[in-house]
Amino acid sequence: MMERVRKTHRLSRSFMTAALALLFAVLLGVPLSGGAAYAAQSASASQESKTDRWLHVRVDCTDGKGEKVRINVPVEMAEKVLGAVNHDRLQGGRIRIHAAEVHGVDLRAILDAVRTSKDGEFVTVQSREDNVRVAKRSGFLLINVDKKEAGRDHVEIRVPMKVVDALVSAGKDELDIVAALRVLSREGDTELVSVKDDRNTVHVWLDAKSGSTD
Amino acid sequence: MLLLSKIALGFGCTVLVAGGYVMRDGVMHISVDEYRPGGDHVHLHLPASLLPMIAHFVPQRDCARALREARDVLPAAKVAVLELHKYPDAEFADIWDGDEHAQIRTRGGKLQIDVESPRENVHLSLPVAALRDFLDELESRAPDN
Repeated sequence: MMERVRKTHRLSRSFMTAALALLFAVLLGVPLSGGAAYAAQSASASQESKTDRWLHVRVDCTDGKGEKVRINVPVEMAEKVLGAVNHDRLQGGRIRIHAAEVHGVDLRAILDAVRTSKDGEFVTVQSREDNVRVAKRSGFLLINVDKKEAGRDHVEIRVPMKVVDALVSAGKDELDIVAALRVLSREGDTELVSVKDDRNTVHVWLDAKSGSTD
Repeated sequence: MLLLSKIALGFGCTVLVAGGYVMRDGVMHISVDEYRPGGDHVHLHLPASLLPMIAHFVPQRDCARALREARDVLPAAKVAVLELHKYPDAEFADIWDGDEHAQIRTRGGKLQIDVESPRENVHLSLPVAALRDFLDELESRAPDN
């Protein structure tokens, strides 16, 4: 009889200990089943995110109130989210463009011509207002615009040709944004866009860091 | 005495299990401070699992129009939330406009949206898992056409 009472007492004591541990977990705000699942998920996520490519946008404006914008987007995330949007002209990661928007110019034909040609300078326009230069070098499409007056803008766009190919890989009047992002994610650290004038700087680039440094 | 302790233990365990279920997704935090005479100061710490329940109890006629308009965007929002799981600690947006500052980031698996200005401060911290359940609930309530 005494042995049974002792056994029951031991059982209820260990049960109380477990209950107290559970109570502490709840009081400390630890998500229970979700917490364990989250910890496992976070561990695998941090492993996975090590190889992720991030697209960064940095805008600095020195006039007015001094706006600053820092946007960091994982390329894979952008790819998946854009692929899921079906709204207006953006359908399944492809954006429909009308001929009127490119002033009747066959964008695909031009890009195809650029892609198949050797490295070199394709367009050089020198005017009183600005200098424009379009070139292909080492697998990159390079566009440079230098404004001579009013703020002295300097625009530099550097896009891997593979990305351009992917962008125009859809139908005639479509740009495949998702395909372009997919190819972009396989690229190494890349400077894509740089715009500088008297008051503003815009910088778009791709790397493996999750945050943009100042 | 033994009977009493058994009843207490049973009650305690029920409370713990119920509490554990309610807290399974963590806690969401909503904080709004308006810096004007008579401005509101709202600070809420709520179990995040309540969020889908709140969505469930909003009258259908009140949210039908909003859901119809959001129907195209909901799948993308769901995908975004699923992807957020992969980035438990990341900065997504940081914007300064004079004395106003807005941040969107994830910290410890929670989506944090902070807006600070001289007029008001808004802080929202929401477990990503709860957000996913919330969007599932919204999608299930979205009218077909």
